[in-house]
Amino acid sequence: MSKFVAVTACIAGVAHTYMAAQNLKKYAKKNGDQIKVETQGAMGFENKLTAKDIAEADAVIFAVDTNVREQDRFEGKKILKMGTSEVVKDGSKAIAKAHELLGD
Amino acid sequence: MTKKETSFISKGNIVIGLDASSKEDAITKLAAVMEENGIVSDATKFKDDVLYRESLTTTGIGNNIAIPHGKSETVNVASLVFAKTTKPLEWNSLDGSKVSIIFLMAARDKDSGKEHLKMLATVAGKLMDDDFVAQIKAENDPDKLVNIFKKLED
Repeated sequence: MSKFVAVTACIAGVAHTYMAAQNLKKYAKKNGDQIKVETQGAMGFENKLTAKDIAEADAVIFAVDTNVREQDRFEGKKILKMGTSEVVKDGSKAIAKAHELLGD
Repeated sequence: MTKKETSFISKGNIVIGLDASSKEDAITKLAAVMEENGIVSDATKFKDDVLYRESLTTTGIGNNIAIPHGKSETVNVASLVFAKTTKPLEWNSLDGSKVSIIFLMAARDKDSGKEHLKMLATVAGKLMDDDFVAQIKAENDPDKLVNIFKKLED
């Protein structure tokens, strides 16, 4: 079991941001991992990650098609970066890749 | 123009048996429905904004579903139109599947209609839920579809 945090953000901030967030949660749960997902969409930051969330995470997943806002929060962390479409298409792959990053 | 919607989605937002020959045709026809419903004030402008978004990456998310959307100044209120097509349409979907279920979403800038934006986000997120997708695929009665969507508002 690993602990992940993620940020999702797409261009319009209307749909893919939220689909990617749900798919990450779905497949993390299936895999027995913990995940907390921050969305940066048309409604601004939601479920914003705290410094503690980030510090405790084994790895960070960015499912983004645009720049992550306040990216300096993640300095020094292991970061997996994917596009939102990839994550929407195959959430299990995103989780598997995050484990690869950890050397699991 | 300012038709008031008490609920996020009503029967007027649901089109069963959309007869469209292509992705562009479907978006054009559904944009016209949005103009009739007062969701957008200029269907042609909105259609152009949606097609611009389509040109960036596909909104065919797989599983025969597409969620074209546009953030446009012609949008009066963030909302969506749900449609099922009479025949499957090519959409360059992520999984290569043809599209028969369309959620056309309309949004404004970030400060307006947060509640409705929240609903769009909820609907989009639910499309990752296999049970929800099976439900909307199986149901063709607009009244029952309205009820399925209404449950998301709770």
